Amino acid sequence: MSEGHGGGHGPELAPLLKEALPFLHSIPDTVIYTWLVMAFIIGVAWLAKKKMQMVPTGWQNIMELTVDGLSKMIEGSLGPKSRKLIPLIATFFIFILCSNYSGIIPTFKPPTGDLNTPVALALIVFFTIHIIGMAERGIFGYWKHFIEPFPFMLPLNIIEEFAKPVSLSLRLFGNVMGEHVVVAVLFMLIPLFVPIPMQMFGLFTGTIQAFVFTILTVAYLSNVMGEHH
Amino acid sequence: MEIIQAASVLAAGLAIGLGAIGPGIGQGTTAGKAIEGIARQPENSGDIKTTMILGMAIMESLAIYALVIALILLYANPYKG
Repeated sequence: MSEGHGGGHGPELAPLLKEALPFLHSIPDTVIYTWLVMAFIIGVAWLAKKKMQMVPTGWQNIMELTVDGLSKMIEGSLGPKSRKLIPLIATFFIFILCSNYSGIIPTFKPPTGDLNTPVALALIVFFTIHIIGMAERGIFGYWKHFIEPFPFMLPLNIIEEFAKPVSLSLRLFGNVMGEHVVVAVLFMLIPLFVPIPMQMFGLFTGTIQAFVFTILTVAYLSNVMGEHH
Repeated sequence: MEIIQAASVLAAGLAIGLGAIGPGIGQGTTAGKAIEGIARQPENSGDIKTTMILGMAIMESLAIYALVIALILLYANPYKG
């Protein structure tokens, strides 16, 4: 899907970078955008960590607010056992949020607007669910829940497990990509001022989608971590 | 060849148009009920909001599937040859 976009784009950053730096030639565009988003996140984290104080100011304030809010939310629904999962889930939120927001920068394409990135994230969630489930309930106890309440529910349960990563990835991809295409089409029709409200709406849906991805991950994990339900 | 292109464009429009009806109705009902709940018990608004967003996201994925189908038909159509 990477080259199947609607027309009407302006210049794009990744081809320009490839022209300037020839050693990037064999690397897909999405990876370059992902690296840029990662560099931004690492930069902000570094800025926040540079001068740590008891009373936070500036960047440290922002990071503490984000991390504190996320870990409260995750611990609230997964219980105190979930402390080791907080870095993973909070990273999902921060990375998806920054990727979705990066679409607002001209010449930038959001990495989550390429199907590969959401699928990679959703596969991580998929394997985490099963591994955590087996670690929490024991291997036999975990796989037993596939034939509960009745053995003939097995196919349905298996389909449900595979529907989770599919719906997680397609939801994120469809939202970001759809928004990008709509803005591109508006740019093609009326380039001046008209796309701005749509881009604002894109920021809103970007936040919601990052939040939804996180919440759904937490919900799936709380399904396998809790006692019998 | 042209008939396939015409059919693809028509199908894409129908896919997203019809696919948006159900989630639209569902999300409207959800938002209405959530507002009722918040109006009755404002102290629970945080829980209600989270649950509402979760449910809406699951409904929205139906519309998003329709959108993905429409985009595939328009940009990555396997039958265009």
